[in-house]
Amino acid sequence: MKNRTFLVFVGPSLFLMFLFIAGPLMSVAWQSVHITRAVYEEVETELCTPGFLTQKCTMEIRTQPQLDENGRQISETVFVGFESYKNLLQPQVAFENIKEGSWAKLSNINFFKALRFTLTFTLITLPLVLGIGLLVALTVNQVIQSLRGPIIFISLLPFVITPVIGALSFRWLFVGDGILTALLEWWLERDIAMFAQGWTIEVLMLSYRVWHVAPFAFIVFYAGLQTVNRDTLESAIVDGATRWQRLKLVILPHLSPLILFVSIIHLMDSYRVFEEVIGFRSQAHVISLQWLTYNFLTLDETGNRMISRASASSMLTMIGIVFLLLFPLRSTWREHQKRRSG
Amino acid sequence: MADLELRNIWKSWGDFVAVRDFQLEISDKEFLVLLGPSGCGKTTTMRMIAGLEDPTSGEIFIGNRKVNDLEPKDRDVSMVFQNYGLYPNLNVYDNICFPLKVRKVLKAEQDQRVRKAAGMVEINDLLDRRPAELSGGQRQRVALARAIVREPNVFLMDEPLSNLDAKLRISTRAQIKNLQYELKVTTVYVTHDQTEAMTLADRVVVMNQGEIQQVGSPLEIYDRPQNVFVAGFIGSPPMNLIEGSIQDGQFVCEMNKGFPLSGPEGPIALGFRAEDAEIVSEGGQLKGLVYAMELLGDATLITLRIGGGLMCVKMPKDFRAKMGQELAVFLKPAACHLFKTDSGLRLNQS
Repeated sequence: MKNRTFLVFVGPSLFLMFLFIAGPLMSVAWQSVHITRAVYEEVETELCTPGFLTQKCTMEIRTQPQLDENGRQISETVFVGFESYKNLLQPQVAFENIKEGSWAKLSNINFFKALRFTLTFTLITLPLVLGIGLLVALTVNQVIQSLRGPIIFISLLPFVITPVIGALSFRWLFVGDGILTALLEWWLERDIAMFAQGWTIEVLMLSYRVWHVAPFAFIVFYAGLQTVNRDTLESAIVDGATRWQRLKLVILPHLSPLILFVSIIHLMDSYRVFEEVIGFRSQAHVISLQWLTYNFLTLDETGNRMISRASASSMLTMIGIVFLLLFPLRSTWREHQKRRSG
Repeated sequence: MADLELRNIWKSWGDFVAVRDFQLEISDKEFLVLLGPSGCGKTTTMRMIAGLEDPTSGEIFIGNRKVNDLEPKDRDVSMVFQNYGLYPNLNVYDNICFPLKVRKVLKAEQDQRVRKAAGMVEINDLLDRRPAELSGGQRQRVALARAIVREPNVFLMDEPLSNLDAKLRISTRAQIKNLQYELKVTTVYVTHDQTEAMTLADRVVVMNQGEIQQVGSPLEIYDRPQNVFVAGFIGSPPMNLIEGSIQDGQFVCEMNKGFPLSGPEGPIALGFRAEDAEIVSEGGQLKGLVYAMELLGDATLITLRIGGGLMCVKMPKDFRAKMGQELAVFLKPAACHLFKTDSGLRLNQS
């Protein structure tokens, strides 16, 4: 294909990618190293009080926002380097806490508190989503043909539900007078408060995410199972391979590109965990990086937004995702190189 | 090594009958080929022997042991598949070794047997490679080695050459024949390629629509087809079949004058092979117009239109004819085959 023709085809896509991906990304990066603040001026005022013989005058210097000719506050944007990152990470305090080995103190810094939960959430849900998705796919693949359609439909429902609504529904099941809480209290004969401590909320949030995303993994794996080489599978049966050996030697190698695909999608998605924090109203105990960014963008009592800090938080979230994706992408690249050289 | 016997085997899915009353005895060390068009039930029959399908009814014996209720791994059979069936993430050595590992053969013996099997199919230098790094022919040889290494009672081969190119097919075919000669293992081989069947088999079973049409040596099948289906399926080109009737000792067919032919009076199908006929300038029994001329290298194949049908005659390589030219064909009386037109069965048994 000629370069010109290639550009004609690719150009619109590149333009849109720049407009909606690269542009905003660069804007966030720029905002994270700049701060926009009000310009203040010092106003010297002489205050005189009436006296018996002479007036008593004092000079007072006041700092006040500078206004333009229309009476609007003047603001300026200044380059602050990594100041916002520093405010977010509090490296000196964090380093001291790490040296002391005190996780409790480190988690007083909101960023590390959010990072801890986000990483836990991502790394625990990933194997569960893959495992449950594969298990359901293998089970449905064994079911007689006529039952598969209804089972697939029912299995997909959790994935169809809007995440915030799903999280709220999950929460309602476990609040003080929720159906499942009541059931558990009746069964265990003790009071249960699922939202009184962080770890139970985290368990609920993890369970919800697995319940919500496992159907996606299931449907991808189920599609993959339809193309497993039947000869290889039957060859393994004739060889005497057990079910586990067939899974390990035939099915998993066949599904490995799909497993990688689901892993990458899930890593990107779960590292941006947000809906669960809102749905489960867990801010008091558990926060995520994405929620932290959102919180910085929310107006505070003085009517300000911490845009620079929110941008820094976004940038760090993105760097985290890239770092997590390095492992699967590196293995894919190696496999690709191996195939090319083979 | 073992005999193999299939007694009254039926296989059906709902109303569809895939294999119908299949009865066959296969001798120890015999190379038997199941031959037929796609969907004739040959692979289903092999899968039932392997234990990958259960017969709807009937019994399967391997070495006088009824195996109907045995798992595939307990039947002591090895199977080679069309798509090789290799484990993609194991190297060649581990692929060949896998059946031995499953059977917990001693490590030293495993190594010895793997290297021996690899040597037999000439892949000793490929043992460290993965299947993805091999060509189709090499992969099929790995599959053969994996079958050999088990030292099974029966080899089952399901169209193992179908995925190979023509040149590789010929060399691998010879290799399979040689292996069977050396190992002397009872072998059942499924193919739809009659050349493979003719070159490899001690006996050929021709199947159609789930039924055995004929069982015999390759020559018997070729020289004395028992019905119209076998006659039309075996041979390249297949046997010429001309419908007509014998009236007063004369065979009469469309667009041709009668010629003397001994056989029962009434409608018949006359069959003859392309190489058993000859184009002559005078005295031929049949006449037709040249429809196509194909140069085969070692011969020239002339296709003539006779009435509503076509017939082929194999002539020497330097023979030439013009398209549309009328030619006379001489049939050797001894090479004529007669079939009933209604049932398709052979009439002249001599």
